[in-house]
Amino acid sequence: MFAAIPSAVILGARGHPVTVEVHVGSGLPGFHVVGLPDESIRESRDRVRAAVMSSEAKWPNDKITVNLAPSQQRKSGSGLDLAIAIGVLVASEQIPLDAVHDMAFIGELGLDGSTRAVPGVAPMAGVSTAGELVVPVANGHEAWIVCEGQVRPVAHLRELIAVLGEERAPWPDHDLTVADSDDGPHPDLADVVGQPLARRALEIAAAGGHHCLFVGPPGSGKTMLAARLPGLLPDLDREQALEVTMIHSAAGIPLPPGGLVTHPPYRSPHHTSSEASIVGGGSHSLRPGEISIAHCGILFMDELPEYHPRVIDTIRQPLEEGEVRVSRAAHHTTIPSRFQLVAAMNPCPCGEGGRPGGCDCGEARVARYAGRVSGPLLDRFDLRVRVHRPDVDDLLSGERGESTAVVAERVRAARWRAEQRQGAVNADLSPLELDSVAPLAPDALAVLRFEMDKGRLSGRGYHRIRRVARTIADLDDDPPDVIGEEAITLALDMRASIGPLRAGTVAA
Amino acid sequence: MDAENRAHLAALAGFDHMTTSRLVALLSGRAPIEAYAMASGCAAPSAPVAGIFRRSKDLGARWKASAAAIDPGAMEARCADLGVRVLVPEDAEWPPQLMCDPRRPAVLFAQGDPDVLDGRRVGIVGTRNPTRRGAQSAARFGSELATAGVRVVSGLALGVDGAAHRGALAADGAPPIAVVANGHDQPYPRQHRSLWMQVAEAGVVLSEWPPGTRPEPFRFPQRNRILAALSELVVVVESRERGGSLITAREAAERGVDVFAVPGPIDQRSSVGTNRLLEDGATPVASTDTLLVALGLDHRRAGRRRFDARALPRGDEAVVMDLCRSEPQSVESVAIALDWELAHAAMALARLERSGWLGESGGWFEEVDEYAELAE
Repeated sequence: MFAAIPSAVILGARGHPVTVEVHVGSGLPGFHVVGLPDESIRESRDRVRAAVMSSEAKWPNDKITVNLAPSQQRKSGSGLDLAIAIGVLVASEQIPLDAVHDMAFIGELGLDGSTRAVPGVAPMAGVSTAGELVVPVANGHEAWIVCEGQVRPVAHLRELIAVLGEERAPWPDHDLTVADSDDGPHPDLADVVGQPLARRALEIAAAGGHHCLFVGPPGSGKTMLAARLPGLLPDLDREQALEVTMIHSAAGIPLPPGGLVTHPPYRSPHHTSSEASIVGGGSHSLRPGEISIAHCGILFMDELPEYHPRVIDTIRQPLEEGEVRVSRAAHHTTIPSRFQLVAAMNPCPCGEGGRPGGCDCGEARVARYAGRVSGPLLDRFDLRVRVHRPDVDDLLSGERGESTAVVAERVRAARWRAEQRQGAVNADLSPLELDSVAPLAPDALAVLRFEMDKGRLSGRGYHRIRRVARTIADLDDDPPDVIGEEAITLALDMRASIGPLRAGTVAA
Repeated sequence: MDAENRAHLAALAGFDHMTTSRLVALLSGRAPIEAYAMASGCAAPSAPVAGIFRRSKDLGARWKASAAAIDPGAMEARCADLGVRVLVPEDAEWPPQLMCDPRRPAVLFAQGDPDVLDGRRVGIVGTRNPTRRGAQSAARFGSELATAGVRVVSGLALGVDGAAHRGALAADGAPPIAVVANGHDQPYPRQHRSLWMQVAEAGVVLSEWPPGTRPEPFRFPQRNRILAALSELVVVVESRERGGSLITAREAAERGVDVFAVPGPIDQRSSVGTNRLLEDGATPVASTDTLLVALGLDHRRAGRRRFDARALPRGDEAVVMDLCRSEPQSVESVAIALDWELAHAAMALARLERSGWLGESGGWFEEVDEYAELAE
């Protein structure tokens, strides 16, 4: 007998439909899986056999052949277990063929027949064209968000046999609410004491979508500042939310209670993270990396020079293109990764090189430390802000700064202005657009000319300064059309040079 | 001493792992040619030298290799090429201060005119990474002392040393004296190559070691003792809690040379060492006059201030300037101290920087005085 059951596998952040063909016929009893399965699928033979026998069904004493079509594509993961089990039951005539008409199955099986969650159900459900989709209960809500047909969550293979088999039982009614993930309220900006420049930089980064680098000694609050950026960003729109949810689902990250990721994600991979974990790939399913999980949100890289230079280098292309192309010998995929990069570093290896006369490092050591961050990446940061340790008096005063709610309101207004004006955030402004949306007042032009004459501002730096100045102006209650000296000066103060302090400062 | 002996002495000083005490042991009571033979293993070692060989195992092999690599004739030619004279204690040019020093060098290599050592001399030392104020003070002392006819002795290092030398050279007064820790063939640090040449041109660059000696870390404290011995008084401009300048100060104190220190803010790392020197009894110094009086010179002849062409800051800028005079300021600290808008503070600081009153590094703004260009 023969059965063809629709299912899906995941590659990167995309689902790919797979048809599980099962043939049960005479021959030496055995169980074979063909169609480029990887090790995890080959193991499913044992799981499926045990699960079927635990579910009071009969395991056919015949030769069973499973083909995963399309057969030239390599497949990975345990999500095909359910489809294989149903295929075997249909092919051995324990479930009638018409009962599974227009139905797709995704899910892993335990040896006792219970269903288990698999990563990437959302994108897999997205590509399913069947009228009904059967998934494990634990994946029910994420399938439900994207699936066009009916989602049928089941907890056990036995339930499924009862519904589809001769018993014709009704579909079980499972509660789809999931446990809260750890996505608590965002930390509040009011916790940051003093540090007006760093706070302003954060506000500008949020309003303009500018990549931001904090440079300061240990204990100056760089990490604390970065963690407060997501709270300042507006929620994702429906389209973004769906895209992010797909990626998070594929990466196996717990989804929020509603199922849909609505807040901009915030990811802070440790600096020892491998290239594959940051960029993506690593297994046959090419799992999304941190830069994709941070899609539409923040990627925070603390201790930037401590990352492997190759990791730093590989994130440059995604930064530019908003997506990452992960290729392996047999297969490749493109995963969205339009993230806002926030990074932090010490001014020098000893960490004290902020205040004049404070640093102990030789010039060569500082240059080597700064050199670990490549110039081209450094160039991506519109904002490079020097963070100083907060004043002791400020810390003890107990005075709190503006709260996230207040600042987020200004950010929202500024983003709206940019959206109305050019339909994008200011960080995406091209030099040509800048000429029309950010014209310079004569005094501002004079300041920039002075900086360029002194060799402290390059051509590229000139555009970045104007971009940031445009955002600074947008954050005003009554934003001027023309950029004045004030906005330009502030923007220049947020272009710290990196490297030895006295000798040969790098042009911004 | 004849030329051949001098050449052998220069070559011997350049042996691998050569130290002052080893050199003294080798030379005690015999001519450099004999000492050279003994070191290279061609003659039986004296008892003290045999002891040296016994204490460090592979020294004999190293010195044999050195003897094969360094030919006295070639060394002589190399010194001549570089304009380096080999001085020994019996020479007339040998500085008398070093004659009875407890750890007297056995030989000195002088590039420039060793005669300039004869005169009033003040050592100026300090950290390699000073604040702008520190570097400017060093340049000011250097310039004003040189104008008053006092030779500035320093070490040609980055930071304070370099600023002092530049100040002295700019004044075009008394010739500068540098004491360095490596050979004359490879000026160190590289950034000070041209400064080194200028000092050698106008004054003298002294080293205990011949051309070919690399600037190994252990040589710097040794160099400091010569620097201290050659100074009539030593000024430490800025120093951290541990630093070469404190070694110089200690060496000076051991030799009865007065130590002066420039006071700094108590919470500034680059002034921790100098402030501790003051606690320990060093004399505070804020102006060159103090030094001239200590030398017994008429301080009224001290150099006049350099001409200042900058327009005086007014209004808000004057207020900010006052803040920056007391200690380095950032945009944030000015905004907080004066309770100003961030952009307002940023603009005042930026304008002062553009008009040359302030210098910025790493987000900190410091006062720039008329010695700024010599300090960097």
